[in-house]
Order: sequence, then C-alpha cells, then structure tokens
Amino acid sequence: MPRARLIGLMLLFLGPAVAVYTLFSIYPLLATISLSTYSTTDTGDHVFVGLANFTTLLTDEVWSKPFWNAFFNNFLLFCVHMVVQNPIGIALAGLLSLPALRFRATYRTLIFLPTMLSVVIIGFAWNLILSPLWGVAEGLLKAIGLGSWFAPWLGLPSTALVTLSLISVWQFIGIPMMLIYAALLNIPEELVDAARVDGLGQFRIFTHIKLPLILPTIGMVSILTFVGNFNAFDLIYAVKGALAGPNFASDILGTYFYRTFFGYQLQVGSPTMGATVATVMFLIILAGVCVYLFLVQRRMLRYTF
Amino acid sequence: MRSRYTIFGVHVILLAYTLLATLPILLVIMNSFKSRNAIFGSPLSPPNADTFSLIGYTKVLGKSHFVTYLLNSMIVTLGSMGLVLLFGAMAAWALTEYKFRGSTLLALFLSIGIMVPIRLGSVAIVAMMRQSGLNDTLTALVLVYVAQGLPMAIFILSEFIEQIPKDLRDAARCDGVPETRIFFEVIAPLLRPAIATVAVFTMVPVWNDLWFPLILTSSDSTHTITLGVQQFVGQYTTDWNSVLSALSLAILPIVVIYVIFSRQLIAGLTSGAVK
Amino acid sequence: MATVRIAKLNKSYGDAAILRDIDLSVDDGEFVVLVGPSGCGKSTLLRMIAGLDGVTSGDIFIGERRVNDLEPAHRKIAMVFQSYALYPHMNVKKNMTFGLKFSGMAQPEMDRRVAEAARMLRLEPLLERRPRDLSGGQRQRVAIGRAIVREPDVFLFDEPLSNLDAALRVSTRVEIAKLHRLLGATMIYVTHDQIEAMTLADRIVVMNHGLIAQVGKPLDLYYHPANLFVAGFIGSPAMNFFDASVAAKNATAVTISGPGVAAFDAAVKNFSGPVGAKIKIGVRPEHLLAEGGSGFKIAGAVELVERLGETSYAHVRATPEVALIAEIRGRDAPNAGDPIALSAHERDLHLFDERGERIAID
Repeated sequence: MPRARLIGLMLLFLGPAVAVYTLFSIYPLLATISLSTYSTTDTGDHVFVGLANFTTLLTDEVWSKPFWNAFFNNFLLFCVHMVVQNPIGIALAGLLSLPALRFRATYRTLIFLPTMLSVVIIGFAWNLILSPLWGVAEGLLKAIGLGSWFAPWLGLPSTALVTLSLISVWQFIGIPMMLIYAALLNIPEELVDAARVDGLGQFRIFTHIKLPLILPTIGMVSILTFVGNFNAFDLIYAVKGALAGPNFASDILGTYFYRTFFGYQLQVGSPTMGATVATVMFLIILAGVCVYLFLVQRRMLRYTF
Repeated sequence: MRSRYTIFGVHVILLAYTLLATLPILLVIMNSFKSRNAIFGSPLSPPNADTFSLIGYTKVLGKSHFVTYLLNSMIVTLGSMGLVLLFGAMAAWALTEYKFRGSTLLALFLSIGIMVPIRLGSVAIVAMMRQSGLNDTLTALVLVYVAQGLPMAIFILSEFIEQIPKDLRDAARCDGVPETRIFFEVIAPLLRPAIATVAVFTMVPVWNDLWFPLILTSSDSTHTITLGVQQFVGQYTTDWNSVLSALSLAILPIVVIYVIFSRQLIAGLTSGAVK
Repeated sequence: MATVRIAKLNKSYGDAAILRDIDLSVDDGEFVVLVGPSGCGKSTLLRMIAGLDGVTSGDIFIGERRVNDLEPAHRKIAMVFQSYALYPHMNVKKNMTFGLKFSGMAQPEMDRRVAEAARMLRLEPLLERRPRDLSGGQRQRVAIGRAIVREPDVFLFDEPLSNLDAALRVSTRVEIAKLHRLLGATMIYVTHDQIEAMTLADRIVVMNHGLIAQVGKPLDLYYHPANLFVAGFIGSPAMNFFDASVAAKNATAVTISGPGVAAFDAAVKNFSGPVGAKIKIGVRPEHLLAEGGSGFKIAGAVELVERLGETSYAHVRATPEVALIAEIRGRDAPNAGDPIALSAHERDLHLFDERGERIAID
C-alpha cells in the first residue's frame, strides 16, 4: 500500500480514539501532575514552587495528619479486600466450576448482581439495613440468637471503616469470582481427568492442580482490586459524606482528594493542593502496577493450553 | 463418585451466599412498596393488601426531577457507549491490521488508561471544561466517559479482531473492496458478539458513576440518576418511603438490563476477553 | 486470459528469506500447481501474485503488465481461500456480487454473471442462503463462484480442498479440473497434497525452503525427479533411499555397491565423479519386485506388514542400519518375520550424487 494512503487510513481509523483519549485522559493527567508543582498566590496567579506542595502534604501537620490517616485507612480497605474478597471469590468460583452442578447459571447471575449496581445505591441500602432505626440487621441477629452482637457498626469510629470495606467486598466479590471461574473453566478437562486417574480427589485436584494454574488470574484480580481501592470514593462519600466520619475514621485518599480540591466547611478548595494529592495517588497506583508487572507477573508462569 | 451429601452441601453454601447477595436488594425493593408503618413494623415481610403503598414513589416523582435524571443518564450512557464502540472498533482494527513503526508503542500508550484511573486528572478536567464552556453539560460527561472507556474497549476488540480469519480481509481485497469499506462492511458486522461485552463494560461504570456528575454538573437539568439519587436521599434521609423508592427506581433499570444482557456479559467475562 | 511471469522474485521478513530468486512462467490457460511441505513459501508466492503480500525484490507480470505495485483488485485475479473466506453476514448472492459493486458494474451485468456462475456450479437453489446454512462442499462452490463472477485473467487457489472431508475432496477436485477445461483460464493452485498436484496440474512446481526444486509435468516429476527432495516428496509411500558408492567406472557404466545392496552396473555415461564417490540409490516401494527384477537386489527380513487390501506394504530390514518399504500387490503378502529378497528394473532406479542432484541413467 502506498505510504500516503496508509497514513490517511491511520488518521481516519486511529484519529478519533487517540484524540479523545489524549485530550480527556492523558492530557488532564499530565496537566494535573504539572499543576502539583505550582501554587496559587493571593491574586490568583500560579507560581512554580517545585516540590514544595509535596513537602507540605507529607510534613506540614495540617496536611500530613489527614493525609496519612487517609492513606492508612485506604491500606486497611485494601487489606480487608485481599483477605476477605479473594478467598471467598476463589471458593465460590471453585464451587461453581464443579462438574454437572445444577442451577450454576442462576447462582452465577444472582451473585454477580450487586456488582452491577451503583456503589451509591449499595451504600445507601446497607446504611438502611444496618441502621438501628430500622432494626433489620438487629432483628436478623436476634433471630439467630446473636442479638447482643449488634452495634451501629457504621457509626462507630472503631468499626465504620471495616464495615464499609465489607460492604465493598460484598458488592465486588462478583469480579474475582467470575475471573477465577473463567480461568478454572479454561483448564483442560483432560488435565483434571489425568489427575483423577492418578488418584486425586476433587479437593486435592483443586488445591494441587487448579489453584497453581489460576495464580496469574489471582494476581490480576489483586492488582485490579488495588487500583480500585486506592481510587475509591463513591461508597464513602455516599454513606459518610465528604467528611468521611465519624471523625475521619473512614477517610480514604479519594475523599481526602475531594475535600482538598473542592474545599469543605470553612476550608477553601485548592486546585494545586488537590493536584498534589491526585499526583500522590497516581504515584501509589503506578507503584502498585509496577510491582505487579515487574515482580508478580514476571515470576508467575502463564500456562497456555 | 461424589456423595449426595457433598452435592447437597455445595448447594447449601451457594444458596446461602446467593441469599446474602440478593436479600439486601430485595429488601429495599420490597419495602419501597409498603406504608411507613409496615416498613418499620415488619421489614422482612413482602407487601400485602394492607401494607401496599406507592406513597414513596409519588413523593419521589413529585419532589425531584427523576425523569430528567433518568433521561440524562440514558443520553450520557448511550452516547458514550456508541462513541466508545465506534472509535474503539476503528482503532482496534487499525492497530491489529496495519502494523507500522510505533504501532506497539501506540497500543501501549492507549492501554495506560486500563490501569490508571482517569479520575486522577479531575483537577485539569474541571479546569478544561470551565475554560471551554462545557462545564455543566452532558457533552462534558460523554467526552470524559469516552476517554475512560476507550482503552478497555480497544483491548477487548483487538483480541477479538485477531480471531477473525485473515482470509476474509484478503478475500475482500481481492474483490476490490476499498479499505474503509472492508472495516465497515466486512469486519464491523462480525464484531457483534464482542460489542455486547464492550457495551456492558462501558455502560455499567458510566451509568453508576457518581464522581464526574458530582464535579462536572451543577444544575438539576444535567444531573444523572446516580447523582440525583445521592442528593435526594441525602436530603430526605428521614423520609423512608421516599428513600426506599428512590433507591428502587435507580436499581430497577440496571436489573432489567442485567437480566437481558447477563448471558452476553458472563460470556464476555468468561471467554477470556479480560485476560 | 493471461500469462504469469515471475522474475528473480524475493521475499524476506527482516533477515528471514521466505522466497529466493524465484523464476517461473505460467502459460495462458495453463493449470500450475505449487506444491511443497509447509513453510516452503508456496502460499507466500501465491499471495504475492495476488498482491496480498508485498514484493521485496524482483518482478511479477500478469499478461504484459508489471503488477508489483498494483492493488489486488486491479490485477484481474480472483482467489479462492482455504477457509473459503465467505462473508458470514451476506447471503450467497451478495457474497458473489459484493466485490463487483465496487467496480461500478451495472446491475444487469452482475445478475448475468451470478446466474451463469450459479448454473455452472449448481448454486441456483442456494443463492438466498447464508454461509452458515451451507455444507462445506457448498461453501467451497460459492467461494469458487465468487471467483468466477470476477471473470479474472488468473484464478488463484490457496489449498482450497484441505478443509473438506476425504470423499468431498475427490469430487471437488474433479469439479475444479472440469471447470478449468470449461473456462480455459490460467490457474495457479497451492496445495501440500501431492495427489491433488498430480491429478490437477498441467505442470507442477515443487518448492522447498523458498526455492523451486523442480518444475515439470506430473509424470516427469514422478519418473525423473531432478533431486533427492523431489524424489522423496512425490510418491506415497515415499521413495526408499540407499547409501552407496561408486566401486568402478568406465565410459558407459558405473558399478555401484552399498551396505545391504549387492553390487550392480548402471548405464551412466561419463560419470563425472571419482571412483569411491558417495551416491544415493532411490527405488519407489511400488517398483520393488519379489521376482523378475534386474540389477538392483536387496534382501532382508519382514518386520511389519500393513495390509490395505489389494496392496500391502512390507517394512523390511536389510541390515541393522538399512530399512525399506516394499509394495506387494495381490493376496500373497509375506508375514512378519519372513525372509524376503527384492529387486528392481534398472529403468526404475534413481541415482543421486553427493549434492542430491539426479545422475542420468540411459
């Protein structure tokens, strides 16, 4: 094909996608990173300040205390996901992939349903269910004799974040379940048959044959969870508002970013400090992705069947 | 042989989890059709002749711009989905079909967006939209969502296009079909199965998004359903009928769409489209 | 109708040479089959003639036109693909006319061509069907029909029968041969199946490692393979080869002997190599005789017999290093473990020198 025509075709086919993507995704990201090195003067002008904003964010008590609080809360959110979401997701996928299981499609569809709904709606729904006013959760616990366990979990500083994390796990369990389920289905039938001929039972086939083969998928689920968690905002904002109460106990980087950028109560919003928080979030996510790409994925063998 | 007890146990576990996953949603929908006293008196029982009430729904539809929100959400979701599919399929075709210097690099560039959330550029996006006068318009939302949805769409569609036999495009070339027509008339019609997957992957996050409507729209006429519900529920927290009805109204469209498309979605998820 | 001429054609991807200095002329109306093992470059050559793959260096002429830089659509060729490559979302008729539309052809002319091709290929009842509702053989006929309506100068076939089952392959092969006679068009056909090559071709081009190993009429290749590769490639089961050397020579003959092979004289005039030169003897399994041969003789024990009915293949071991296959016709095939003595007529012997080139026997 002549060169000129090839270039014409490339422009036609790639132009729109590359233009929209660059203009509204890559450029804003770079502009935000660049803005994080500026500060706004009283007259509204932007002046270059180098890394001063980052120093402020990480060392100035007014900024750093809430920042580190949000960071560690965010980390806890991620840990709860890893510890609760992955094992349950694997277990559900394992059960769903059992041969000749009846109602498989129904289970799968229903368990995935919450994942489809808006985080906002899920947050409100659980807020109502766990509310002492309505008493649904309390009533259910009483019915099974655990009434004394009930507490207004979402309202207590000690339990709010973990409760929110569990709500998030409840909602998104469908994703690891589906991805791992798909990976399990991709394991050739003959491999399982061979293991059975070798005398392994269903449980050992799962732990000794299937689990090692789906490790790459678990790695991918983990990085998706990491990115999702360190970018989360909707659930906390919907249930607890921008202040992420009680007393910032459920504050994460997403809500902290929102308050920094748009301001809250008496604090005025600051685009440059907002950009600084966003840049730090970007670096955290980038670090996680790099760890995944260069350490986790490299070491894991991908099996092709 | 697995024993009957094992199978029974498996079903008990799966059933229990299915209940855990669906009961909260069912509870909200069920109670939205009940009177206030019944919501508190017997939250776990379905509405009957005595307790049935649509008071919540009449209040929601009367007090908020619910229909506008719903329409806005549909416009934004369908608009961004259509553009993501069109631009995404075109780009995926060009990337897989015309290998040129830098095509791998370009593919890599386009895949950054799969891992890095577009939200992190919000500060600049808000500034851009204000400068260009697009602030508080649905167009602004569509543009951002197209940029957000493209990387994954291109990735999925590229994998799919790779699987279309190369002979087909060769046959079209021998037939004298112009290159642009090869894409639009031979390849595009064959993308239908992948398009269903991409559509769901694009639509659901857009429909459910709170962040961009929150930071880019400020008037009732541009709010989407997710933001509308969030603000409505925040405003009427003590009016349980209204809150439950508003939530149900937001849940129902998604549930309906999900029921219709769940087969394609699950097929897409399990076909390894997202490896 | 047109000739195809290929001159000094090269194709390489980076450092990997796919085709090297290919020269080939195809006459007007000729049926030429490109055959060779997978990876030999035959499909690439066909795709370059079609214009689907670019030329690294050299020239391709169709008729008098140099077509190197022409788009496939402008080369007046039509191609039939292995996978048929029918557009799945169009019915049979649209599949055939889709390409014609873009050449600006008038509707009546398109209809005429489709009707004619449909009649020729018995596609009339299928015109409204989609490809997925057709059997493999029907799809293949549609693919051929789509080529015919273009009324091309040259038909190109890329392994068109390899997706069909065995019975259909035979009948479609016959149809393609009839079609060639009917249309009288120039056809270039790629296959790895030597039976297709032998039955269809006016001339066969045997390719190996990006080079043409031999061009010739089917029986020429069978009776006079130019080198070891062609000798081993054409014929099934493959030709037996025996290591041997020249024990003595004079102006009209050489004396040949080798491990397991009794010394014999072959009428090789003016053998250029020295006494002691290594050579290979080739004998086809169907030319090994239990009795009545002359010259070449070999004896051994039967290890295994494959009985196909009318013929049987005896796997024979002459020495621990020398094994061969002999075709035994009729009911009296030996059994495993039997001793066997075999011979061949001199006219059925093939000799190859150290470089694998044929040594002519008178």
